[in-house]
Amino acid sequence: MTTDRAAIEELIYSSCMALDDNDYASYMSMCSPDFTYRLTAFSPEVKQDMSWLDHDRAELEDLFATLPKHNSDRNPLTRNAVVYKVKINEEQKKADVISALQIFRTALNGGKSELFAVGKYVDEIALDGDEPRLVSRRVKLDTRDLGWGYHVPF
Amino acid sequence: MARNQTEWRQRPKKLPPSHYVDPAIYSDPQLFDEEREKIFGKVWWLAIHESEVPNPYDFRTYQHPAGRELVIVRGEDMKVRTFYNICPHRGNLLVYEPSGNAKRLVCIFHQWAFNGKGECIDIPRGKDGYQDRVCASDVALKEVRTEIGYGGFVWVNVDDNCGPLSEHIGHALDYMLPELEAEPMQVLWYYQARLKTNYKLIHDTNSEFYHDYLHYHNRITGMMKPESGYFQRRYEAFPNGHASVGSMNVDYGAYKGGGHSDLGWPNLPTNGWKLVDLFPCITVNLRTSVLRIDTYIPLGPKDVILEFRALGLKSDTPQMRRQREKDAATIWSPFGRNLHEDLLASTGQGIAMTEHSDPMYVLQGREENQTIHDEIGMRHYLAEWSRRMGRSSADPYARETKTKSA
Repeated sequence: MTTDRAAIEELIYSSCMALDDNDYASYMSMCSPDFTYRLTAFSPEVKQDMSWLDHDRAELEDLFATLPKHNSDRNPLTRNAVVYKVKINEEQKKADVISALQIFRTALNGGKSELFAVGKYVDEIALDGDEPRLVSRRVKLDTRDLGWGYHVPF
Repeated sequence: MARNQTEWRQRPKKLPPSHYVDPAIYSDPQLFDEEREKIFGKVWWLAIHESEVPNPYDFRTYQHPAGRELVIVRGEDMKVRTFYNICPHRGNLLVYEPSGNAKRLVCIFHQWAFNGKGECIDIPRGKDGYQDRVCASDVALKEVRTEIGYGGFVWVNVDDNCGPLSEHIGHALDYMLPELEAEPMQVLWYYQARLKTNYKLIHDTNSEFYHDYLHYHNRITGMMKPESGYFQRRYEAFPNGHASVGSMNVDYGAYKGGGHSDLGWPNLPTNGWKLVDLFPCITVNLRTSVLRIDTYIPLGPKDVILEFRALGLKSDTPQMRRQREKDAATIWSPFGRNLHEDLLASTGQGIAMTEHSDPMYVLQGREENQTIHDEIGMRHYLAEWSRRMGRSSADPYARETKTKSA
């Protein structure tokens, strides 16, 4: 069992780097077989949580396989996470982790970087193996206006 | 062979003016000001769904395309009314938050207070300052025409002299009424985005379907299959610029990469899809298990706020609601397969067709017996636009007319 905070933090940061590189295989290798991914935002307009992506592991893998077939914004993203809280449950061999998330988009044309979105990762991480693994990731966005949107999950 | 400047700016020789568009209608600030006066300030707009103000004293703000800030309020009598969101005292915003609940709308500036009927009910130290020269009954809020209908949507019109909503809609929504009025609905999510393009270009993505080839998701979920009914979908044009598109059978199972369900919708055939475009930029789009409503708020010729609502049924269990959200997210959320591609394309048009980019006449010339790749939807829309503007969309400055008469 891994209870090393540094290893947990490295998992979070590695997951950001994998998605930044569109390296979906690496990303999935950091996830457990029963991994779930959900992206939500709270709307003050309609006063409720909204779910904008909601996938289990198989659906996410299908999505990643399908992405190249779509017309998409190709301006790359840079995900910058800062781990705020790590709560380790040694009995259950898991950790609940909250990280601040900022996402920047860099224009292919000209290279200007702009803040695209802010929010939080709320992760559940399994610690029962040699390395920590993501069991669930909930992306809670504060930013709701994402312009024309983006196909790759945050 | 590429075209020279003269050829580039020539009108299409073999098409009538109804089949091409002068690109200035997408970029000219003067034309936009005229649209605000002649169109936005005259038509009915779908502002919110009534489930956004379910309880007495609930309010919701709305930025009206004619430029007015509005606040929609459910009074203690449960009636929904709309007012200018401006304090009649010194012109401050009355309500700052997009939604909330307040027994009295109180201006933060000098604490003037108003009830759900728009009546002024308190002017602090009123008698001391105004004596009998100004009293509460003189300073009520400005009420805006409001109707609820076609599935519980709240419609507003800032023209006091407008006809009823039913006159504007006519029979355009008739073929969706069984679905819209089957059961009370609720908003699942609301997505608002501001883009630098013209509102008509984004509305085009709902009123022409030739661009369906753009969407990998659409190609694989039905349009290529003869049994889907895709190429048999027919446009029906209605008065006032509205149009509907016939249903088809969507095969969600063919797409790997998103959730889909057999949840369906009351009165809609399994895997059905119905769509109605309302002039000038409202779309009612029911696809298998989710109702999507598009409402656009034009702010300038190249500046628009887009509002997208996904709706389910009020009777949904939490599991059903989550599944409907999932179905909607697959294609229509900001991470959805189709919405992103539509918004990319229409923004690209906005970038390419500016006042000074020397764009060509835009073609809307496809004729396929009014079926799905016929561009009659856009032509019908621009015929109404031309009628209201008193200008041809192919020749808004009447250059052609002047040339011929000279």
